[in-house]
Amino acid sequence: MQANQLPSSYRDPSGFVFTHKGEIYRQVNKSFQPDFEAFINSGLYDALVAEGLLIPHKTITENLTGGEDWFTTLKPEKIELISYPYEWTFSMLKDAALLTLQLALKALEHGMMLKDATPFNVQLHNGKPVFIDTLSFEKYRDGEPWIAYRQFCENFVGPLALMHYVGLPLQQLLLAHPEGIPLLYVKKLLPYKSRFNLHLFLHVHLHAGVAAKGSANSKKPFLAKSKLVNLLRGLQTLVASLHFNKFENIWGEYYKEAETRPGYLKEKKAIIAAWIEQQPALETVIDIGGNEGEFTKLVANGKRRVICADGEHYAVDHLYKQVRENKLSNIYPLCIDFTNPTPAIGVNNTERSSFFDRASSDLAMALALVHHLAIGKNIPFDFIADMCARLGIYLIIEFVAKEDEKVKVLLQNKKDIYDWYTEEGFENAFSKRFRLVEKRALSSSPRILYLMERL
Amino acid sequence: MMSILLYVDPGSGSYLIQALVAAVTGFVFFFKNIRMYVRDKFQRLFRKKQS
Repeated sequence: MQANQLPSSYRDPSGFVFTHKGEIYRQVNKSFQPDFEAFINSGLYDALVAEGLLIPHKTITENLTGGEDWFTTLKPEKIELISYPYEWTFSMLKDAALLTLQLALKALEHGMMLKDATPFNVQLHNGKPVFIDTLSFEKYRDGEPWIAYRQFCENFVGPLALMHYVGLPLQQLLLAHPEGIPLLYVKKLLPYKSRFNLHLFLHVHLHAGVAAKGSANSKKPFLAKSKLVNLLRGLQTLVASLHFNKFENIWGEYYKEAETRPGYLKEKKAIIAAWIEQQPALETVIDIGGNEGEFTKLVANGKRRVICADGEHYAVDHLYKQVRENKLSNIYPLCIDFTNPTPAIGVNNTERSSFFDRASSDLAMALALVHHLAIGKNIPFDFIADMCARLGIYLIIEFVAKEDEKVKVLLQNKKDIYDWYTEEGFENAFSKRFRLVEKRALSSSPRILYLMERL
Repeated sequence: MMSILLYVDPGSGSYLIQALVAAVTGFVFFFKNIRMYVRDKFQRLFRKKQS
């Protein structure tokens, strides 16, 4: 392992990703030279980059690691935010699956094949999913079955089919199974009627049964190229047929309801827009509990990188669809539950970093959120202040007083044990972490907006 | 039993199944194409008659 090698980049002997003077690079090892040259010379790299399917890179003819295995160094275009499939919505995982299949089919056209099919190789970049592992393409050997077939089924087909049939956001199953949900699990969890979907029957039910048996010394069977294309097209048909729109969106309707409160959204937007204007150096923002991204879009304004993180799958999915349709290239919608944000996982707990390690920004926004955390989840103000201080240098936060009708709804069916939930208690807790820059009470409701700077 | 399974390559079953899955999928696509061809012909015929 090289000194600055990323902890997630250890599996593939073809090369690895490392940091050098704060920049990300990828080393190609000598052992992978023939495949890498075929990848470039076949025209596949140019074709994929021209279509925006693969991250472009520059070649650096310098051995930055000093390693003996070095063949060449690549400097890929910078990815603003790395996110993981257990933070994605159904549509994000589905798009990543379709991209992976598209890449495999394109590779075959150029006499190459995709050797990995993991969603960790796909990232949101300039408003659409892009494949980031340049070393995942190897020469296609005639008659060879797809090495990544099971990986594709366990990482993409399994979770997508479960969400389709169960109708619940189950992306966090991938947190427990970051290398894919074993097909036997998927088979057992799927309802019986899923067997009547022919493609699903083949790729999951039948596949699970045969894969479980395995074989200790079987030879690789011959699979003609035309059949391999059929296999990939069958997967495309299956993935395209999976949907996730059965349940009504509770929080997704939030803004429609909020709009009925006269002046509330308008006044809030005007104050926040003015504050943002005063801070021209702000480049990155995290919208904590950003829902469908109404305020994310306001602050992004085409130039700032904004993470819109919310625990509500449907609202985040809705924003993601807007990002794709309208090419909102600097907005990153993610499913994050702030009472239990993504931990660091994998080998040595360093392979995939925690959400907080990736998301810290110039500005954190927590709008109409404090009452949900404090009263809804009993989280003390001090803890919320710590959370905000870890995420932003500046903070725009909304305090929702107990007199507010939404807080009254939260307290309707529970004992009011929140005597500490006061404007004064809120300000005291946050003053330990932040300096108050400006405070504005909303005239349209008993809510207060604060602009603060971290101490 | 368990000790034997630990040394079985779990990928091998996925290789074997691909030929079968691909054959069935090819069969499905073949009939799907015929169905679409026939439907297309009928639609054209119908449109001609209407015009």
